[in-house]
Amino acid sequence: MFIGRDLDRVDALAKVLGTAGFAHDLRMEGMLFACVVRSTKPHALLRDVDVSGAYAVPGVLRVVSHKDIPGQNTFGALRKDQPFLAESRVRYVGEPILVVIGENEAVAREGAARVRIDYGEIDAVLEPDATGKGRQIYDTGSLMAYKKVRKGDVEKGSAASDVVVAHTFRTTWIDHAFLETEAGIGYVDEGGRIVIKSSTQNIHYKRVEISRLLAIPEERIRVVQATTGGGFGGKLDVTCEGFLALAVHLLKRPVFMRYTREESFLSNTKRHPLSIDYKTGARKDGTLTAVKVDITGDTGPYASYGDAVCLRVAVHATGPYEVPNVWADCKLLYTNNPVSGAMRGFGVPQLAFAHESQLDEVAEALGMDPIDIRIRNGLKRGSVTATGQVLSASAGFVETLKKIEPFWRARQKTKKGSGFGLGCMYYGIGNTGVANPANALVELGEEGRVILHTGACEIGQGSDTALLQIALETLGVARSDVLLDRGDTDTSKDAGSSSASRQTYISGKAVQEAALGLRAFLDEAGYYHRGRALGDIYRATKDKGRLLFEGFFNPPASGLDEATGQGIPYATYAFASHMTEVEVEEATGACRVKQVHAAHDVGKSINPKAIRGQICGGVAMGVGLALMEEFIPGKTASFDAYYIPTSLDMPRVEVFLVEDEEPTGPFGAKGVGEPALIPQAASVVNAVTDAVGVHVYELPCHVERLKGLIESKKTTK
Amino acid sequence: MKRVGFTLNGKTTTCDVEENELLLHTLRERLSIASVKEGCSIGECGTCTVLIDNEPCYACLTLTAKVEGRDVLTVEYLAHADLLHPLQESFISHGAVQCGFCTPAMLLVGYSLLLKHRQPTDEQIREAMSGNLCRCTGYVQIIEAIKDAAPVFIHSGS
Ligand code: FES
Ligand code: FES
Repeated sequence: MFIGRDLDRVDALAKVLGTAGFAHDLRMEGMLFACVVRSTKPHALLRDVDVSGAYAVPGVLRVVSHKDIPGQNTFGALRKDQPFLAESRVRYVGEPILVVIGENEAVAREGAARVRIDYGEIDAVLEPDATGKGRQIYDTGSLMAYKKVRKGDVEKGSAASDVVVAHTFRTTWIDHAFLETEAGIGYVDEGGRIVIKSSTQNIHYKRVEISRLLAIPEERIRVVQATTGGGFGGKLDVTCEGFLALAVHLLKRPVFMRYTREESFLSNTKRHPLSIDYKTGARKDGTLTAVKVDITGDTGPYASYGDAVCLRVAVHATGPYEVPNVWADCKLLYTNNPVSGAMRGFGVPQLAFAHESQLDEVAEALGMDPIDIRIRNGLKRGSVTATGQVLSASAGFVETLKKIEPFWRARQKTKKGSGFGLGCMYYGIGNTGVANPANALVELGEEGRVILHTGACEIGQGSDTALLQIALETLGVARSDVLLDRGDTDTSKDAGSSSASRQTYISGKAVQEAALGLRAFLDEAGYYHRGRALGDIYRATKDKGRLLFEGFFNPPASGLDEATGQGIPYATYAFASHMTEVEVEEATGACRVKQVHAAHDVGKSINPKAIRGQICGGVAMGVGLALMEEFIPGKTASFDAYYIPTSLDMPRVEVFLVEDEEPTGPFGAKGVGEPALIPQAASVVNAVTDAVGVHVYELPCHVERLKGLIESKKTTK
Repeated sequence: MKRVGFTLNGKTTTCDVEENELLLHTLRERLSIASVKEGCSIGECGTCTVLIDNEPCYACLTLTAKVEGRDVLTVEYLAHADLLHPLQESFISHGAVQCGFCTPAMLLVGYSLLLKHRQPTDEQIREAMSGNLCRCTGYVQIIEAIKDAAPVFIHSGS
């Protein structure tokens, strides 16, 4: 009834009416405004901080420093290593030092501008140094994380190859550029508890961090997700929530914060710039024999999600291909550049750029069609991945290629400068090699209304609607019978973050489990066979307490061996193939993306319209990654210097879905949020090569860079 | 302070504002029109778009004093009582809304375009919305929604 149907989004009505309460829109009687004073230096000691100028501004009530923190002055999703407010040293431009609280925004910002900081500058580390011999930020060295994957013997595999291709690929910092900057409101409720409502991707995690910061128990804190204007990984780390909690705790008045766009660019974590040495070996018939990948990345001064990126790129080193001999190293190094963290794909989009370019060059060297080499080596049921995992089900990669094959074979260059490229990917759903459970609650409430309580955050990706569809299908009730209650730590249990394309799969399964509990109860009570109304069932049993059914799902995966990376990092994988047509103007280096055919194995499509939306959005972000997006530390402060695709940059998009059902997923579903983006930049780059015959080893391939490549090709001829 | 009079969503409105006050501030903070968003504050994202005499304008770059005597529309104008405007219906049914932060502005741009072109081409739609960023949708379903609403577009002016 409800699975595979284009249900309208449950949040769309409020959004088209303009009544949705985004974090930016939250207001309260008597609320104050807080803003952050941030470091203007990449690396410095704080010799003196003079706040008298701020206090001289009428309406400034309080300037908060690290000394005002009652609990721990550190946070971090995976390591508690990042200060909320700098103590004696700052390590990147944009690092928070103080919070200024004033009667209104103008006053608070004026106060912040009048703070005087005497910096004792220290030489900054601006290039990641893998040798360990250069300048270091920390006494413990520059190496933040190091992960490896070893399978077979790459030297032997290379020796047995008829062709070996080796190149170095480079990518740069990318900003999430969600349109709603970080924002939220905090206040003390009637019960004396601290309430934070913010633009976020994870409420339960934020509550833990606030509890540590203020040294008060989690039960004394409530975190609510406001309508959130985009996330893409950038609202996973604590943004304004800690400052709000601190301000509310100290002043006991409602406090609001909203980052300016410049502040968002400055403070938000970035996609990791990676340098990828990639060597691929293959036999004459195109069979891959060995892949050796050596990756170093700039992680900035704090860990954020670096560990997750590091492990994930090592694990995904080969791309969606079966390779008998694999050697993959990934090292992330500390610098005084912006903190890099989670961004849609956790490093895999950068890696796809490398492995897909490589594969095209191997195919070219062997005189093979790019699609044939992919079909020949593609992972399928029974294949063994780089970590030694046997794919026993839901591995529809080759089917995604088959979907676009007719268009690929029929491709025709219509004019000079037109070209076609393929990009493929696989992506493990959920966190890598660690437990990442989700809980859900389904309740039979007042008047027989079914209430779905979930802690999963809707960040625009459509989890609210997908989870509702799963509940409706499982229960076999009408749309009007079910209420959704989402994103409140008071009414939900931890569902984990909206990240790693995990909510449909993991929260979806937890919702299904909880709904099955209620279903069994309703069955017993005569709902399905005797036609007893939900309201009657509720009234007959309500005196026995709340009718609450719990669901829980933790995907079956295992930890990975430290030395070899062998193990089962994920219970399931998504697969995708994109074919992109471009037109390059040789004289200027301008590249237009004309059309994309995108095929995705989603396991089971819960809502095809929503999936198409994710894919079109992913294509846009991939076009940006390939051709225009580049954050330059110390320079980028606005959209004037950071281009994201506009409607004029978008190609036509044709979407094809493969449904190779995942036995552990809800109705067979996996995830699509990040897969939508991952292969896109790779396919653009390959199309550019096809169009003008130059190889692109560094992103973004913007106009000047491409023009330079075309010109140097002409002069070397 | 300065008194400014204009028509807001069909109603005569007067408002006391600062000399250099921006329309974005007036609408959001004085008149509680929260549908007009502030994505960048400097004319680069389009989320603050309103229609002034039916033409899209960035409210973050418009002085409130400049709208004296003019006709200002925000997305609140589109729906009447319980009835959605066909463009709003179309945005919902085409999946043109994801996070929704760009949505009110996109609807206004679409509305303004359809007033001028009853059957716009894809290119005209893309051109019309090129000053409005969306980070979520890739614009595809928004373009489809506007195009599909064109035949049933009703100028629901008062
Ligand atoms: S807020 Fe006006 S254009 Fe961005
Ligand atoms: S729907 Fe999120 S910015 Fe457009």
